[in-house]
Amino acid sequence: MKTLFILTVFGGGLAHATVAPALRIANVAPDIPLIMVVLLALRRGPEFGCAAGFVAGLLQDVAAGGLIGVQALTKALVGFGLGAAGGRLRVTQPLVQIPGLVLLTLAEGVARFTLLQLFRFPAPFGELMTFVILPQALYNGFIGAALVFALAWTDTLKERAT
Amino acid sequence: MQGVDGLEVGKVKMRGVLVLGTVVAACLLLLTVQTRGHSTPTAEALAFVTTPIQSGLARVNRAAVTVWATYLDWRNVRGENRRLREENQRLRVESLQVLETSTENDRLRRLLALQQRLPLTTVSAEIIAREWGGWVRSLTVNRGRGDNVARLTAVIAPEGLIGRVMEVRSGASVIQVLTDPASTVGAHAVRTRTAGIVEGDPRGTMRLKYMARDGGGIQVGDLVVTSGSGGVFPRGIPVGVVRAIDDRGSALFHYAVLAPVVDFARVDEVLLLTGDTRRDVAAAFAAGG
Repeated sequence: MKTLFILTVFGGGLAHATVAPALRIANVAPDIPLIMVVLLALRRGPEFGCAAGFVAGLLQDVAAGGLIGVQALTKALVGFGLGAAGGRLRVTQPLVQIPGLVLLTLAEGVARFTLLQLFRFPAPFGELMTFVILPQALYNGFIGAALVFALAWTDTLKERAT
Repeated sequence: MQGVDGLEVGKVKMRGVLVLGTVVAACLLLLTVQTRGHSTPTAEALAFVTTPIQSGLARVNRAAVTVWATYLDWRNVRGENRRLREENQRLRVESLQVLETSTENDRLRRLLALQQRLPLTTVSAEIIAREWGGWVRSLTVNRGRGDNVARLTAVIAPEGLIGRVMEVRSGASVIQVLTDPASTVGAHAVRTRTAGIVEGDPRGTMRLKYMARDGGGIQVGDLVVTSGSGGVFPRGIPVGVVRAIDDRGSALFHYAVLAPVVDFARVDEVLLLTGDTRRDVAAAFAAGG
């Protein structure tokens, strides 16, 4: 459990630092740690999702050099919320995965903006939403769906092998 | 039993809420500490902890970006290399085409110049087939019955004589080349005026058969031109250059091996002398036969 946690969260952070620049399209990079948190929360529940979100977000905050705790809090909330609702969601369908991740990223973006506003972050919401949050949300949706599909495929292969 | 399960679920939920509460509290505390001012000891301690992590992550990020940039460069260089290779190949082909066109242009200019210099009626033709076996040596041109071409029409190139038309078809004619074993042409050496007959040879060469007592003075390098006797070929068209003398002692006829002035294997365009050929055309040729 601990190994999985460390591998996923730190692997996500490392992937974000290494692979994300390569995946950048028109200055938009996917939020790989968020995708990892979503996957972990869906599989391991709210407690695990919350902790994973906190650590992954904290790593991102430290790496970004901004206010530490913003992404840690928002990702922890996403992890907890999704972990709690995970049992009631049918996430194996791409039609659920893509819009789900898009909405989650949007929610995380809005939460981050609200939090930053509380701590006097001066940024116009419209531009932030149009040029940063929405494109990243769409990108996350597709990357996340691909990852969920890959994981489901791996699980099927494992089941067949056993 | 159900009561115990319910208790367990409640405990788990409680633990989850506790984790969430702790996380939220920690985050808010962190944010508050940072926004209150940079000089507080807590903020200093936070910076002390986060700075090495930031440096490490920045290093990882920089390395990844460098690797990615190197990969992109390599991919670009490979693509550019492939593009340049293709361009190089295309330019080579184009260059060859230009060279070919230029050579053809030169040939046609020379043929046109000859056509204009000659005081004869001529028809230009393009060679469309070559028969180069030992038995027959012939060329086929794209002019035939419809172009006023008759049997035995003389065929020339800017360098000299090629042969005569032996067969006329509709749209094509077959030319017997001078090196054909059955070919004979009346000729004389320009320098000594020694008359003889140029015959084709099965080996693909030509020889001048002449009477020894009249032409003893023929030397290697002498130019041999048509004599005009027989009425088929105009007088003065270069035929060949003496390459060797076959001295047969006191025999009546001697032979001179000739090198053709025209490279029959390479000629592509020719002139057919379709009109009256009883003229001396030596002045029209560069060799000055």
